[in-house]
Amino acid sequence: MAANMRGLTQFIADIRGARVRELEEKRINKEMANIRKKFKAWCSCHAADGNLDGYQKKKYVAKIIFTYILGYKVDVGHMEAVNLISSSKYSEKQIGYLAVTLLMHENSDFLRLVVNSIRKDLDENNEVSNCLALHAIANVGSSEMAEALSEDVHRLLISPTSQTFVKKKAALTLLRLYRKHPTVIPAAEWALRLVSIMDDQDLGVVICVTSLIMALAQDHLDAYAVCYTKAVDRLHRLVIEGEYSATYAYYKVPSPWLQVKLLRLLQYYSPSEDATLRSVLHEVLQTIMNNSAEPSRNVQHNNAQHAVLFEAISLAIHLDASSPLVGTSAVLLARFISSKETNVRYLGLDTMAHLAARADSLEPLKKHQGTIILSLRDKDISVRRRALDLLYSMCDTDNSELIVGELLRYLKVADYALREEMVLKIAILTEKYANSYKWYVDTILQLISAAGDHVGDEVWYRVVQIVTNTEDLQEYAAKVVFEHLKSPSTHESLVKVGGYILGEYGHLIANDAGYSPLEQFQVLHSKSQFCVASTRSLLLSTYIKWVNVFPEIKPQLINIFERYRHVLDAELQQRACEFYSLASRPDDDEVLQNVCEEMPPFPPRVSALIGRLNRKLGDTEDKRTWIHGGKEMNLERHANSRKATLGPGSSATGTTTVTGNTDAQDVMSSLAGLNLSSPGEQSDPSRVDSSVVAPRVAVGPSVEKWFNKLIYSTDGVLYEDVQIQIGVKSRYQGHLGQLAIYLGNKISVPLTSFTSTIHVNDSEALSATFAKIPPNLLVPRTQSQQLLHVECKKAFSSFPILTVSFLAGAHQSVSIRLPISVTKFIEGVKLGQADFFERWKVIGGPPREAQAVFPITLDGTGQLDLVRYRQVVSGNHLEILGDVDPNPNNLVAAGVLHTSVDGKVGCLLRLEPNREAKLCRLTVRSTSEDVAAEVLRLIEKLLRLDSS
Amino acid sequence: MIHAVLIFNTSGIPRLTKFYTPLHQSSQTLIQKIFSLISIRPAGLCNFLDAPELEAFLGPKDGSDERWRVVYRNYATLYFVFVVDGAESELGILDLIQVFVEGLDRHFENVCELDLVFHFDEAHHILAEIIQGGLVLETNGDEISNSGL
Repeated sequence: MAANMRGLTQFIADIRGARVRELEEKRINKEMANIRKKFKAWCSCHAADGNLDGYQKKKYVAKIIFTYILGYKVDVGHMEAVNLISSSKYSEKQIGYLAVTLLMHENSDFLRLVVNSIRKDLDENNEVSNCLALHAIANVGSSEMAEALSEDVHRLLISPTSQTFVKKKAALTLLRLYRKHPTVIPAAEWALRLVSIMDDQDLGVVICVTSLIMALAQDHLDAYAVCYTKAVDRLHRLVIEGEYSATYAYYKVPSPWLQVKLLRLLQYYSPSEDATLRSVLHEVLQTIMNNSAEPSRNVQHNNAQHAVLFEAISLAIHLDASSPLVGTSAVLLARFISSKETNVRYLGLDTMAHLAARADSLEPLKKHQGTIILSLRDKDISVRRRALDLLYSMCDTDNSELIVGELLRYLKVADYALREEMVLKIAILTEKYANSYKWYVDTILQLISAAGDHVGDEVWYRVVQIVTNTEDLQEYAAKVVFEHLKSPSTHESLVKVGGYILGEYGHLIANDAGYSPLEQFQVLHSKSQFCVASTRSLLLSTYIKWVNVFPEIKPQLINIFERYRHVLDAELQQRACEFYSLASRPDDDEVLQNVCEEMPPFPPRVSALIGRLNRKLGDTEDKRTWIHGGKEMNLERHANSRKATLGPGSSATGTTTVTGNTDAQDVMSSLAGLNLSSPGEQSDPSRVDSSVVAPRVAVGPSVEKWFNKLIYSTDGVLYEDVQIQIGVKSRYQGHLGQLAIYLGNKISVPLTSFTSTIHVNDSEALSATFAKIPPNLLVPRTQSQQLLHVECKKAFSSFPILTVSFLAGAHQSVSIRLPISVTKFIEGVKLGQADFFERWKVIGGPPREAQAVFPITLDGTGQLDLVRYRQVVSGNHLEILGDVDPNPNNLVAAGVLHTSVDGKVGCLLRLEPNREAKLCRLTVRSTSEDVAAEVLRLIEKLLRLDSS
Repeated sequence: MIHAVLIFNTSGIPRLTKFYTPLHQSSQTLIQKIFSLISIRPAGLCNFLDAPELEAFLGPKDGSDERWRVVYRNYATLYFVFVVDGAESELGILDLIQVFVEGLDRHFENVCELDLVFHFDEAHHILAEIIQGGLVLETNGDEISNSGL
């Protein structure tokens, strides 16, 4: 296009021809002045349709864009760009949009002017206009636009008539709007509909939608839980089935971007409990690892393969850090960190740091400690940085002295850009993994003297805190700091530490040779002249403390106060005056003693160092799934973030505030902000999750009838409407059962994005999982069968809920209860009369007996409907005992409930219908009161049904 | 997320600049900064670079491990540079650069620096088909070149 605008080509050629920067600037200024004049003329006679036609506007705006790309600031042309957008000519519209996306940013005032044009283009029945508009929103969308346009964008994304390229753009645009203004997007409400697009035929659409879902799911884990299955299924199809169009293979690797995204998405969820999903996922990860076993010669192919591999390893670590897969990964990583390729070394170290952050045992990594330490001297700073992170993560009490020593040695030659961070990390490691206080003090003081300028105030504050709170340490610390101060050049931070520690604890060493009060004073005061005012005032405080404990040097000290009374600095002067008069009081005065009381221990608090390292996480940005540091740090952070997403309601369970342990032995760890009580709360949030969202169940008279029938029979229809039919066939043995669910498509178009999920209220009592991931397509007028495995672990009282959703034009979803009751896991037992009554008596009355009296109807002839009663009771898997009760109308039955966790539970039943009163008495006795109540409830409901 | 896509030549003159995050300072100084970081790195070093220096331009990253990362690749006289955050896979971005270059190559039939100069709008349109709002939109070469350019 640029080629057919002569003026523009000329302009570009001129600029290229400019030999020096000044000429280039001159040419640009001339052009801008010209354009400004033209636009001004155009504005003034705008009413008369101006003398500037679309072509000219386009040309000038194009010149402005070119100037902008060269890095010059441009301040004209915004209005004209806005104008071009509403042009009917594509080329003009396109340049207009390009200018808007390049020249404006989200806070630009001009954007208000384009909202309406953009909306018009979104609503237009022309995909090209739709795309231009979407692209503009995705680049400059603000929260204002989110309010105005998110509905339109969402419509383009889900509309069945949208072309794939519109859908792709719409998905990413929606993501942009969500990031700008999360509250306008009803994320939870749209969840199922959006997740269903992950089944799209077109991989391009899938990539975009996965990006969107990844962002939404991080904030709404539960609402988007379905995407877990979808992601696993998609990976399976890509990696194992090889089901993708050839154009999406990048150097023979099926869309590495999508694979990476999916693998990353799975890391936001805690590992699935579902056995089927787990095994499929395992297979996928295994295949990915095998695929990259032999490196190929093509660079691009290798890159793509490694991209997927590294993410797969991260996922494997996330799923279970001690699985054999992770063992394999560790071997691979070990190979990578000594690879010849710098990229591979870099990523190998990065991923190894993830492993170190999660693994239970660091042993496999320690084998490579030597290589990693060598990487600190790699020729590439990027690699050096990763090695530093890794060493930080893999440090523990066993290797702390080695690693910290190595880091200290490296600190002296490290890049300036790295030093500050290194200092922080060394300080944290030293504190956290110190084996002895002595080592701690030695190392920290060495650190301060080696890297003075890079030591933040937090570091020396921390030393003071720890020394003050640890009595055993004080004498030693005083000696060491004194030795450090003796060296001719000392850093100011060290002077501060020295001032504080000698002031407080100098008297502890004053009797040893070489540490006399006078020597202490001379050493410390000799540094004073090189220090800034704040340090000097700290030293003055030290001196007043000494006045109290070292009367022998009082004259010298008073002399100093005397001199400082005349300095210009207000703070110093005030201190000097106050201290002077305090020191000049008579010797028996107690004020001085009281003022100079020894410092009490600091209250235990979170280390400011870690706080500085871990700043707050952003709101809608993609979060990291792990941080550098040991396992506990990750656990703690995880607990914190879970708490944050669960909201204030759960704060009662969290005890992340630091435990108030002031025991001197424990000072180290409690000060470091470690929370040892965190493992207990790990299991908590996950349990809250599963009960949060129970889908709304479909109701209707026939649904109720079908459902009740299935409670006492093995197969039948569960649900039916104009589009689908759901039927069930079931088989139970002991505590296990298998349901075949038949899903029938009754209409003549395929149902796509078919998703079925099972929601179990109490997953500790009942588990229900599909034998394999259900297919996502239902061909017209056919039926598909899905096997569901159920296991009864304990007695339960609520039914699992099956939710199926699909696209048939619009997105629909149906939730129905599955007829899986606790009685399905009962097996009947034959008992004689004597046996029965003996057990009946042993169990006894309430609470292990449940009883109800309720009305029943009679059959057509006015008789008791005994056949039906028998059907219901035996349908609930209880064995009817013929010769126990003398009254032939009464029913007596017995059975044993099988559960895998709680074992077997006996259950006896007696049903006494009365024809005259049209009432019936039902009694259930069981060794478990829960079971008795539940069996009674189920059977009563079925029998009472007739009367209602 | 991808925060910026830059192409500049070996003398540091920008040929394509696209920011997906508002800048705190002039883009020229940012490009010079990145150029000074990259141009001193000899071939054979890795294609990734942590760049805490960029905080001044793009704002601080939250979280300790969140850092601006620069992923770059050198083709003849041009540097292709992506500025990304921790949510992107480094190698994935490297692959994406390759896709971008192949896309340009296909469109301009053996792309050279001059094509980017005289057809800057087309280069932007191709980029727009690959990345939108800082996220990967399309990676399929056919789709990219078919999208109405």
